[in-house]
Amino acid sequence: MKTESDSPVAKPREGGRPSGEAAARPGPSSILRPRRGQSQFETWGVVIAALLAIVVLPLLNAETAATNPLHVSDFTINLYGKYLCYAILAIGVDILWGYTGLLSLGQSLFFSLGGYMMGMYLMRMIGDLGQYHKPIPDFLVFLGWDHLPSFWVPFASFTFALAMIVALPGTVAFVFGYLAFRSRIKGVYFSILTQALTYAACILFFRNDLLMGGNNGFTDFKFILGHDLREPGTQRGLYIATGIVLLAVYLVLRWLSTTKFGLVQRAIRDGENRVLFSGYASSQFKLFIFVLAAVIAAIGGALYVPQVGIINPSEMMPDKSLEAVVWVAVGGRGTLVGPILGAIGINALKSWATRAYPDLWLIFLGTLFILVVLFLPGGVVSLPAELRRLWRKFKTRRTPEEESPAAVAKPESLKG
Amino acid sequence: MFKLLRLPLAAGVLAAAALFATTSRAADKVIKVGVLHSLSGTMAISETSLRDVLLFAFDQINAQGGVMGYKIEPVIVDGASNWPLFAEKAKQLLEQDKVAVVFGCWTSVSRKSVLPVFEKDDGMLFYPVQYEGEELSKNIFYTAEAVNQQAIPAVDYLLQQGKKKFYLVGTDYVYPQTTNLILFKYLQTKGVPVENIGGGLSRDAAGKVISAGKYTPFGWTDYQQIVADIKQFAASGDACVINTINGDSNVPFFKEIVAAGLSPSDCPVVSFSLAEDELRSMPTKDLVGELGCWTYFQSLPTPENKAFLSAWKSWLKTENYAGVVKQKRAVDSPMVLSYDGVYLWKAAVEKAGTFDVDKVRSVLESGEISFNGPGGKITMQPNHHATKNVYIGETRANGQFKILKTFDQVKGEPFLLKHLDEELAQK
Amino acid sequence: MKSCLSLVLVLLTTAVALPRTGAAPAAPDDRSVRQELVQAMLARGAARQQLLAELGESGSRTARDALTAWTREEVYLYTPPGASPVPITLEDQQDADGKSRAFRIDTGAPLHDASGRVLKFTSDDLPSVDVDMRLRSTIQQALDMLSLTDPDPEARKSAIIKLGNSGKLQYVPILEHRLAKEPVGSVRKSIREAVALLRLNSADPKEQIAGCDELGRLESIGARDNLHRLLERANVAPSVRASAKRALHAIDGHVAVVDFFGTLFRGVSLGSILLVVALGLAITFGLMGVINMAHGEMIAVGAYTCYVVQNLFGTGFGFAITLPFSFGGHPISFGLHLPGLNATGWLYQSYFIFALPLSFVSAALVGAALERCVIRFLYRRPLESLLATWGVSLVLQQVFRMVFGANNVQVNSPGWLLGHFTINDVLLGYNRVFVIVFAVAIVIGTSLLLTKTPLGLLIRAVMQNRGMAACMGVRTERVNLLTFAFGSGLAGLAGAFLSQIGNVGPSLGQNYIVDSFMVVVVGGVGSIVGTVWSALGMGTADQILQQVLGSPVMGKIIVLTAVILFLQWKPSGLFATRTRNLD
Repeated sequence: MKTESDSPVAKPREGGRPSGEAAARPGPSSILRPRRGQSQFETWGVVIAALLAIVVLPLLNAETAATNPLHVSDFTINLYGKYLCYAILAIGVDILWGYTGLLSLGQSLFFSLGGYMMGMYLMRMIGDLGQYHKPIPDFLVFLGWDHLPSFWVPFASFTFALAMIVALPGTVAFVFGYLAFRSRIKGVYFSILTQALTYAACILFFRNDLLMGGNNGFTDFKFILGHDLREPGTQRGLYIATGIVLLAVYLVLRWLSTTKFGLVQRAIRDGENRVLFSGYASSQFKLFIFVLAAVIAAIGGALYVPQVGIINPSEMMPDKSLEAVVWVAVGGRGTLVGPILGAIGINALKSWATRAYPDLWLIFLGTLFILVVLFLPGGVVSLPAELRRLWRKFKTRRTPEEESPAAVAKPESLKG
Repeated sequence: MFKLLRLPLAAGVLAAAALFATTSRAADKVIKVGVLHSLSGTMAISETSLRDVLLFAFDQINAQGGVMGYKIEPVIVDGASNWPLFAEKAKQLLEQDKVAVVFGCWTSVSRKSVLPVFEKDDGMLFYPVQYEGEELSKNIFYTAEAVNQQAIPAVDYLLQQGKKKFYLVGTDYVYPQTTNLILFKYLQTKGVPVENIGGGLSRDAAGKVISAGKYTPFGWTDYQQIVADIKQFAASGDACVINTINGDSNVPFFKEIVAAGLSPSDCPVVSFSLAEDELRSMPTKDLVGELGCWTYFQSLPTPENKAFLSAWKSWLKTENYAGVVKQKRAVDSPMVLSYDGVYLWKAAVEKAGTFDVDKVRSVLESGEISFNGPGGKITMQPNHHATKNVYIGETRANGQFKILKTFDQVKGEPFLLKHLDEELAQK
Repeated sequence: MKSCLSLVLVLLTTAVALPRTGAAPAAPDDRSVRQELVQAMLARGAARQQLLAELGESGSRTARDALTAWTREEVYLYTPPGASPVPITLEDQQDADGKSRAFRIDTGAPLHDASGRVLKFTSDDLPSVDVDMRLRSTIQQALDMLSLTDPDPEARKSAIIKLGNSGKLQYVPILEHRLAKEPVGSVRKSIREAVALLRLNSADPKEQIAGCDELGRLESIGARDNLHRLLERANVAPSVRASAKRALHAIDGHVAVVDFFGTLFRGVSLGSILLVVALGLAITFGLMGVINMAHGEMIAVGAYTCYVVQNLFGTGFGFAITLPFSFGGHPISFGLHLPGLNATGWLYQSYFIFALPLSFVSAALVGAALERCVIRFLYRRPLESLLATWGVSLVLQQVFRMVFGANNVQVNSPGWLLGHFTINDVLLGYNRVFVIVFAVAIVIGTSLLLTKTPLGLLIRAVMQNRGMAACMGVRTERVNLLTFAFGSGLAGLAGAFLSQIGNVGPSLGQNYIVDSFMVVVVGGVGSIVGTVWSALGMGTADQILQQVLGSPVMGKIIVLTAVILFLQWKPSGLFATRTRNLD
């Protein structure tokens, strides 16, 4: 096996540096020791954003008249609900990639699996209101079934569906992760294998015989927990629920990153062998994080489906995973706000640009991405720190060669 | 002919109106109409030309004075080949832009994804692309070919030409699966034995056939095995291939067919997803004599079609919308059915005297609204499908079709499986 | 300069390419055939059928060419003023206006007007002699009879098989007569097969048994249906039934053998495609450690180069892009138009030979630009090279869409890559054989380059230990650039080949990217030998599973799952490169 570390040039590692130097070159690794001011800034920012998103926006939607300039339309609420689901997915990608150094291209699989589990419940709730007015989902009638296949039966229960939303993606992640981490697959290999897994699952779900709706997937949902999904109130409720889940995920992960567990996690990212030599079973830590990230993605997917009203296998395409990685990279990996900002920002940009410049949109996105990877590895979140560093450099008049792009785009700690 | 006359007539009426009415407000009144197609992503290949023909239809109608004096103002949104985005954009059209009607969608899954939105907001959608049927929504009007307006006439034609063996091959999704299942049952009702239907069958636990034919995933490029199978299947003669492979994969499929020396005179291939637009990227010189079946061909010699084509060409020369390609354009059935949809809607609105969805719908459901389109007369039926002519054609080296047979005024029937099951049970 | 060159080339082709039909001087007995042809073309109904049947017996080459042109709708009707219509064919050679000379079917001479001037037409000027499917099959029957004397054995064979399936016993003497004269063994086999098939329809059980036994001996695959039909017939003698069953058994055994070798061949050919596609990646990813997600787009660059070269040999190539911005009120647009050579015949067919090296060069140039602009900053960050190159891939795809259109483009295969030959009923397509040879050639070329040349030495040195090589005075930057360009160039070559078997469109590369990475990882990163074995293994496994399961989708899923499990067992692939490194 050959990776970049075969070359001695790549040897220096962040870990051994005196703290002063690390502080002078902040970036994603500065999460290890967040500056107090920055941390407080983040806390206040999150509190205000959460209040705005979870309390103020829904209130404006429900309580103001449509003519009021402050009114937030049902359409906007629904749209932001979708963005928040993407943010949940992104934060899951980040704890794997930004915090543990595992770039998984399988997150869209777990997201869709969660979505499919919720979709099965919603399909059962349609009852006999479908095209054929039969008590089983339309596509089954279509395939010549006159009764429910056994694995569909328990999905009439919301509790069961909730359990499966966590259990199925969790189990898939556990089995895959157990095998992969046991044989010490890491870095690029891990990325490529997760991509293969997603691709295989994707073409499997396209098949009609899987009895999961094939290419058309699940759609035409009517009710959730007895509430009509077409009512603005239900959509508002789902939006609030998504906001609360996102906040909870954020808080739990923030807490986790302050524990010893979080420390080991980041140590694995920066030098797994040293963690192993220190007596930690790194594979078990990685497995836990992988399953946790899968479950977070699945919850995001489960909230996503009732809000957008469709789930089909194209949500599992490998490039959907890559897209989620883009959000994280642009927002700022190794931070918890970065992925949220990235997911919401890029998707809002997409909603606008696909309408304004459908031809050039992909070129914008691609270029933005190349530039961020090359010149701003810490993402948008690290922009203030980067600017401060450049300013300091400018003041102290460093030698010119350190100004080269290679030096700007630095941290070794972020490599696979 | 009628349309040719109508243009100067309408212009005359307009001029007269302008003379007599000093303050004409007719030109100021606009009605918003939605266009919902993928202008980016994988489906953009097919769907952008539908957007173009819709713009053409709107311009043509506006030049003739609009609909009841209202100018059509198109609201164009991009579904970006992303199904949740289709639902989002449909919501936007109906709730924010409050459009009177939407023309759009290509894939079944995009239609399925917007269907709940249209039912919730009580919108109206015209859907123009051949599909598998088994659906009927009060909010959708299907100008599209139903299976009995494409696959079944094609098979009838092949049976008539003395073909005895049928090989079914397609891409693994709902349209090919359903079409082939319908054809499997239909062929049986026509007395074709099961062993003469190639491609393989899969049965459920009870032994009932749930899928017939050979399927490949989207974007599949390796057809060696399947073509070798077809070659063996066709070795005994009188065989043909029913092809429901989707877009892209047709190129490797046909290149393999040509390489294996399966010529149309031995074993013709009839394709349901290849129209003039798709043939532009195919090696047509090697495919002369393969079959197609649609409700419109660009080569139709009718005066309506000639007028339509010359108007379309001159529109292409003069229009200046962003993103409309001007060179090397072909016209095919989905485009013409989109165009027909606009005129059917216009006729219904004018008869109802209002843009109100409920009233326009009940007029359309009366079964009396028809339009002499480029592909012949098209009439909206009470079951939201359309009665129209069906043509069988064979490909020529220039990428056009030569028309072999016309089935006059075939009624669209969405629910075929049930009927065929009943018919088979009677046997 | 350019037009001058194309003129020379056109003259060259005119000298070489003779018009396909009608130019042969009319021999005395040829004249009657020509008269008959004209009558057939102008006649209707039964008379036409009769004339076609007579033409089938004529054995004339003229008749064959003219009838073939007729089925292709290449026979046109020219109606001189005040006279009856004359059927003509157009020669291949076109002048600057796209018009070509016309040859009369009745005399074989060029068509003149009253004043003796040569008339020229385009194919759209004149109505073609009508032909529909039923007529086409009648003509085909006549052509089949004519094909019995065709110089091409393959054509003779397919004609014979068709006669065998016709069920008309009157063909038996004709075929047996032909058998005595037939020089080629495989054609003789077909004749025997056809005769045996016809005998099955005889009323005499002895004849039927002889037919069955013969078919069993010949292991005729096409006869299976006929034998099954024979078994289903009500009034079949038990002895006939038994021999038919014996024959079927023998044929089924043969089919199993054919399927086995056919699958093997198809597996090797699919493996070769995977290999060709993945070899470039084995260099950029395997040796250099760069995760190039834009590899697929390098393939597409090669394929599009092929398309451009084809068009330059044809009618020229051009594009225009208008950006949705404006600068001082003027929309920003740019474009390019290259005139074509308007070549035809063998020269046009040879475009592919020129396209191969050019696709290597163009992809290598794009690769070099990519290395300079993006990848050189990322050698220490492989995971980030994955992300940045994905961005590049998005940009390139959109650029393809803007330049070449969102539709797939039409790339015609040269005639020498179409067609096939069979060995013992196993079908071997020319294009498939070509890809295998091609794969062998580029693997050998690549490994020679890496092991036998000074550049190869430098490449290996730098890839093994960049820092140490730099210390020894190797200009690592330049070696990186060359290596990456070489890997990208190989991808371009792959693209040129893929244009011959699949579609060329903006997302061409996406179809192959997952597979390419799989091949390299399974083979063992950094090992060319490993890449070869894993490509062949995955190709063959895929084809075998397709054959066994009868479902390409399930086959693909199983291969992917097997790969995932295989890598749990051998995480560093088939051929692991040993290092002393911990990571």
